[in-house]
Amino acid sequence: MSRIVNVSMSRRQFLGLGAAGAGVFVLGMSLPLGNKFARAAVNNSGDGTLNAFIAIREDGGVIFQNTFIEMGQGTYTSIPAIVAEELDITMDVITVEQAPHGPEYKIMFNNTARFTGGSNSVRSSYDTMRKAGATARQMLIEAAAKEWNVPAGECTTEPGYVLHNASGKKAGYGDLAPLAATLQAPAEVKLKDPADFRLLGKPVGRTDSLAKATGTAEFGIDVQVDGMLHAAVKQCPVFGGKVKSFDASKVMDMPGVVAVEEIPDGVAVIADHYWNAKQALEKLPVEFDNGSNASFSSAAYLEKLQSRLDDTGITAEAEGDVITALANAAKTISADYHVPFLAHATLEPMNCTALVETDRCTVWAPNQGADFVAGVTKDITGLPLEAIDVQTPFLGGGFGRRFIMDYTAQAVTLANKHKGTPIKVIWTREEDTQHDFYRPMTAARHRAGFDKKGNLVAHHITNVGEGPMGRLNPGFLENPKIDSTVLEGVEKQPYAVPNKRLDYVHETVAPVPIGYWRSVAHSVNGFIKESFMDELAHAVNADPVEFRRGLLTDAPRYKKVLDTVVKMANWKTGTRKVDGNDRAMGVALHESFGTLVAQIADVSIEDGEVTVHDVWCSVDCGFAINPAIVTMQMESGIAYGLSAALAEEISMKDGKVDQANFNSYPILPPQKMPQVHVQIINSGEALGGIGEPGTPPIAPAVCNALFTLTGQRIRSLPLSRYTFT
Amino acid sequence: MTTLTINGKQHEVELDESMPLLWAIRDLLGYTGTKFGCGIGFCGACTVHVDGKVMRSCVTPVSAVKDKSVTTIEGIAHDGKLHPVQEAWARGDVPQCGYCQSGQIMAAVALLQENPNPSDDEIREKMVNYCRCGTYLQIFAAVKEAAKLQGGSA
Ligand code: FES
Ligand code: FES
Repeated sequence: MSRIVNVSMSRRQFLGLGAAGAGVFVLGMSLPLGNKFARAAVNNSGDGTLNAFIAIREDGGVIFQNTFIEMGQGTYTSIPAIVAEELDITMDVITVEQAPHGPEYKIMFNNTARFTGGSNSVRSSYDTMRKAGATARQMLIEAAAKEWNVPAGECTTEPGYVLHNASGKKAGYGDLAPLAATLQAPAEVKLKDPADFRLLGKPVGRTDSLAKATGTAEFGIDVQVDGMLHAAVKQCPVFGGKVKSFDASKVMDMPGVVAVEEIPDGVAVIADHYWNAKQALEKLPVEFDNGSNASFSSAAYLEKLQSRLDDTGITAEAEGDVITALANAAKTISADYHVPFLAHATLEPMNCTALVETDRCTVWAPNQGADFVAGVTKDITGLPLEAIDVQTPFLGGGFGRRFIMDYTAQAVTLANKHKGTPIKVIWTREEDTQHDFYRPMTAARHRAGFDKKGNLVAHHITNVGEGPMGRLNPGFLENPKIDSTVLEGVEKQPYAVPNKRLDYVHETVAPVPIGYWRSVAHSVNGFIKESFMDELAHAVNADPVEFRRGLLTDAPRYKKVLDTVVKMANWKTGTRKVDGNDRAMGVALHESFGTLVAQIADVSIEDGEVTVHDVWCSVDCGFAINPAIVTMQMESGIAYGLSAALAEEISMKDGKVDQANFNSYPILPPQKMPQVHVQIINSGEALGGIGEPGTPPIAPAVCNALFTLTGQRIRSLPLSRYTFT
Repeated sequence: MTTLTINGKQHEVELDESMPLLWAIRDLLGYTGTKFGCGIGFCGACTVHVDGKVMRSCVTPVSAVKDKSVTTIEGIAHDGKLHPVQEAWARGDVPQCGYCQSGQIMAAVALLQENPNPSDDEIREKMVNYCRCGTYLQIFAAVKEAAKLQGGSA
């Protein structure tokens, strides 16, 4: 466990704390010495103080350096609120800044990582942030006690102040900060009794709303640096292809054009501003060498995946004897499912600004991990990490896309060639859609067997495909042979089945770039598993809710989430008439990222179009740090998942992506947004994530409703490929 | 030289008048509150007002607006006071990533100018900009709230 330390006297105290003014009292964190990152950092700094999290200024303002980025999910509110709760301050005195890159800010997973994703931010830092806030508060109390010459134990706090009730003395945190800065941080601090929480568990307002309502919030695309030039880029449309040749002379005379450069996999035109760069790029004669993937098609790949559904592959989980149980079953069913590649389609296209000087470099990059930016910059420029400054603005959406540093590499490559000139790269929507790192296409087969009495006795799952972790971060896999980012969502299932088996067949989807897409394989397996559960219920003429309940005998937490949503929706089996039209409900229950979510969707077909009227959503994330943000993230996750289920698909022919802009890759328009009703269950279990778990259940909930409505079982997405009447 | 009137202020700029208004205001004039999302008039992130009407600036050449009055998100607050729509947006914590929200707010301001007291159906019909974060329900609610703040609704 890391230790909170007073770094006020440290020469490292101002690290990254420049913009909002340095604090006089600065608390940081000392990472455990057994950790290799910590050792390296200690050696560098010489004093063992490794980072700075909280700084208190003399005016009482508090600067909080967040290691998590804000991309809509609320980390600029929920994380500082944890500190504010224990420090005992109001939210309005906090300025949230993005922490610099470096090993000293790797506060996740025993100080081995720092990134924003996997719905990890709050749950991975909750204890650390509480301790940091409580330590600061305790030191301010000790400072006051010293000044007033009273026992620290007699002092209390109210937001922003230390009080000594017996003498009526009161001092602001800012006034106490200089003295607190001279004290040793206590090794142990008492954390608040959650019963006394003022902020946590309450719908604390977001810290970023005002900036985002006035257009002043700075996104990467908005970064302006003196002397900046703009670049428009074109990458080889075929994955893995390269630039063969281009004729810069044809565009060098065009207005504003400064240079034409080759970048990894493509070309860039640099001009005085973006429009000129883009105009020239469109005129630039470029020839690509399409390489070996020019005949690739996603349809052929789907066949390849499906052709392996009979394979055994590697068994990742097994209980009982599924083969024998299926052979002896009174009734069996088998169903093949598949899902397409998907794009992230963040509304802010990929962009990055970089300035490389002889001995230093600044990169303004919307990113989900500052160290990834620093790493790629170091590789390109050869500069040491200490000479690289990463600035992280607000992200206009992330959803897993901005882990990948391809766009960052482009800006740094160009800036490295044009030293001293800041260069901003902006992708068109078309580039963004056609050069994403896609949610992988996956195929699966589920088989199940019932005994004579209709009890589910066997469930055998085979997933065929490739996951982003195996491709991008194989070192993170627990078992290098089994890609958890293909299987998550069908592993460790709560449904009681005596014989079950989960097989993984690795089949690469290369050359397609794949990545982490909101909820990763849960988006795949949530749909398939919960659709198949519905098939099973119908196979034995059971109500889909009762069928699931019957299998949740040993999983009371799941049962409660399911029962809650059933009650909220006033669940109805079968179809019913509403305004003269047939309506049906569909249900799904899925755990991801430590959070249990159940959803019921109420669906009709209006003029042949799938229409989702209402979605009821119950969620158990242990404890909702900020119930308003939890609710919004459920709405957001539902919108994202529904968008994909209805109409999103990336397909490829001749090695190229077929879709280009929102007219061919349609994201959910406002008219299709259902009413969403969220109920939070604070179970007190371990904290779960919140940014992703809303996404997996919506597709199966909608598809299960469609089955009731139309008798059509949906075993692939998107729904726009089907005709409904 | 082309004269552009942005938020009541006249700017003299040297440009090719076929340039979309979006890039003129963002890159040449520094009004970066207006966003680029698609460039084909689909998403609405680039929504501004031209003579009070919503316009998608990514597909509007400068030549079409040079004698007109353009309003961006930077121009709707007055005398340091937020526009009621901004007020409703901020108080309601509508934005998530926030990228679409300038455009959403501009659309809402125009809608309320046209009809100070729109029905739920009308709001759903007229608020057509995309939001990838799915803040739609909060947007609908905030339009209602803004109508109240403006005094349009009881
Ligand atoms: S950027 Fe103009 S409509 Fe999308
Ligand atoms: S708030 Fe993110 S796109 Fe709308």
